[in-house]
Amino acid sequence: MKWTIGAKIGSGFALALIILLIIGTASYTSTTRLVDTARWVAHSHLVLQKVEELLSTLKDAETGQRGFIITGEERYLEPHTSAVIQLDKTFALLKELTEDNPLQQRRLEALAVTMRARMRTLQQNIDVRRSPQGFEGARQGILSDKGKALMDELRRMIAEIDAEEDALLAKRSEEASATAATSKSTIVGGTAAAIVVLSIFGFAITRNIARPLNDICSIAQTLSTGDLDVKIPEEDRSDEVGSLSRAFARMIRTLRDTAAAAQSIAAGDLRAKVAPQSERDVLGNAFATMVDNLRRTMSELLEAVSVLAVSASEILASTTQVAAGAAETGTAIAQTTTTVEEVKQTALVSSQKAKYVADSAQKATQIGQTGRRAVEASVAGMQRIQTQVESIAESVVRLSEQGQAIGEIIATVNDLAEQSNLLAVNAAIEAAKAGEQGKGFAVVAQEVKSLAEQSKQATAQVRTILSDIQKATTAAVMATEQGSKAVEAGVTQTAEAGEAIRLLADSVTEAAQAATQISASSQQQLVGTDQVALAMENIKQASAQNVAGTRQTETAARNLHELGQKLKQLTLQYKM
Amino acid sequence: MTDIGATQRPAQAAGKFDWAQIRRRIENANAAFERAVAPAASEKARILKARAKALAREPDRAARAELSLEVVEFVLAYERYALDVSFVREVHPLKDITALPGTPTFVAGIVNVRGRIVSVVDLKRFFDLPAKGLTDLNKVIILDDGQMEFGLLVDAVVAVHRLALSAIQPGPPTLTGVRAAYLQGVTAQCMVILNAAKLLADPAILHNQ
Repeated sequence: MKWTIGAKIGSGFALALIILLIIGTASYTSTTRLVDTARWVAHSHLVLQKVEELLSTLKDAETGQRGFIITGEERYLEPHTSAVIQLDKTFALLKELTEDNPLQQRRLEALAVTMRARMRTLQQNIDVRRSPQGFEGARQGILSDKGKALMDELRRMIAEIDAEEDALLAKRSEEASATAATSKSTIVGGTAAAIVVLSIFGFAITRNIARPLNDICSIAQTLSTGDLDVKIPEEDRSDEVGSLSRAFARMIRTLRDTAAAAQSIAAGDLRAKVAPQSERDVLGNAFATMVDNLRRTMSELLEAVSVLAVSASEILASTTQVAAGAAETGTAIAQTTTTVEEVKQTALVSSQKAKYVADSAQKATQIGQTGRRAVEASVAGMQRIQTQVESIAESVVRLSEQGQAIGEIIATVNDLAEQSNLLAVNAAIEAAKAGEQGKGFAVVAQEVKSLAEQSKQATAQVRTILSDIQKATTAAVMATEQGSKAVEAGVTQTAEAGEAIRLLADSVTEAAQAATQISASSQQQLVGTDQVALAMENIKQASAQNVAGTRQTETAARNLHELGQKLKQLTLQYKM
Repeated sequence: MTDIGATQRPAQAAGKFDWAQIRRRIENANAAFERAVAPAASEKARILKARAKALAREPDRAARAELSLEVVEFVLAYERYALDVSFVREVHPLKDITALPGTPTFVAGIVNVRGRIVSVVDLKRFFDLPAKGLTDLNKVIILDDGQMEFGLLVDAVVAVHRLALSAIQPGPPTLTGVRAAYLQGVTAQCMVILNAAKLLADPAILHNQ
């Protein structure tokens, strides 16, 4: 049979078991006996106790009786009453207990008789006490010593029972101690033997099993700390320890291989390979997977690091640009803020001006009203002028017509003068023809001619004057016509002026409204410009922060770039 | 009254029309007019006296001492001509002239002089003078030498003068043409004396008759 450790230990245990069985059996037996004996001892004690109790009960009864007899009070009879009850019980029990001992049974019966007698005696006494004899009668009864004799008998019998029981007790105790001694010796002997045997056996097994196991245990502990510098245990045993040693040896070899691979990986050489010992080799599989993953991860990392390096440099470049741009923005914003301030000032001025314009427009509206009224008055005056001018024209025309009449008259007069002249000439001619006689006539003719001449001159003068008058009337008519036209033109112009004034008033009103709106919107513009200025301030601050932030970003990008470079360096040390 | 236009302008230049002054002037003019139309008796007496004085003058005797020619002065086309009074029968105002067809151009037409038909000659056409001042042709000087009778269309008849023969000069040599033929003489006042007899005897006019 193959001495596996189990077998070895099993056999050892089997031996121990046998010894145990022996000891146990022996112990059991003696203990049973001991128990038995002890039971009997206890039994005896119990009997003794019960007997004592019995006695005590009897005493109680006596006491009760005595008390009652003495006092006559019912309450002093209580012990007696309870004793009566108890006595029977106790006696029954005793009888039961001593069923196995016929001798004791006989005694008990006798005792019972006596007891009953005693009880009767007591009762009698009690009765006597209760009876009219009372105390004295009871006393007499007691003094009869019947009770006492019975009591003494009882005591003797009880003593006998006691003695019997005591003897039994002694015997049993002796038995018990004998049994106990036997047990003890059995136990001691067996134990000693067991100790010897088992210690020999234990020592052997220990040597056989425990030491190699200890070795392996210390190896395992060393391994558990991670130190692979352990002695590989010998493997030439055929039991479990041997298998354990072999397994440990393999494990150590595997761990060493894995450790070596891990060290090479740690050194940067990712080409190390460790083959798993089996399908179930968790560590080996995990390690192989880990190395694969590591290789893959490393290659991806290398790629990523390259990308990162490139991106970081791009980020750096663009961040630098952004920083520059942010600085420019900051400058532009500062300028804009200044401009906004100026605009604000301008808006303020514009607002004031608009207000002023609105006021002026109001005044202008009123002036326009005045102007319109003036224009209306002017038109009315012009129309009056027109009427007067027309009446002037009419007078002048009448004048002209009168002149015409005068002209006709003048023409007639002139005609007369002409004719007179001709007459005078003809007369002169005739006078000339008449010669000397005609001289007087010639004078007359001359006078007539002279008169005609004067007439003609007068008419010529009148005609001249008339022509002057006509020219004047024509001029007057023309003047009045022109005046009328001028008045018409004046009316038209006044109307136009009125219209213009109305339009002006309208446009002034519009201007006033517009100015009011401008004023209002200037106010809003002012408020808005204020807000814009405030916002610009905020933007300026934000821009400053932005600049600071971009500077930081630039620094960070630079760091990132450097990091990228470092990472690249790092990854390059891994050989794959 | 003076030129009204002239009075108006200063008033306008002053900028204000002096209506009071105008009214005064009108009143004065009206008063003057009244005075002129119906003069007071004293005024009338004065005027008549002045006239009587003028009439009481002696006539010009010196003129009678010399040999003289009585001529009728007339105006034709702004020139002054004269005709011997002995050949002038009368001066007649031109009222209606009837043009005759088929007559030479210098024949203006015929007129009715107190029942008699007299043909009228346009001297301007006859002498080929530039025809200007047509409207003034309103006098007819009727020439008559007993045989021939016709009228001359003239602008105006001035007067009858007694000219001293010594004052008459012959015409300038430059004067040629038709007029030269009928020129009788020229006075110092550049008055052309036409030969009425020659005109009357003219065959051209005769032919028409």
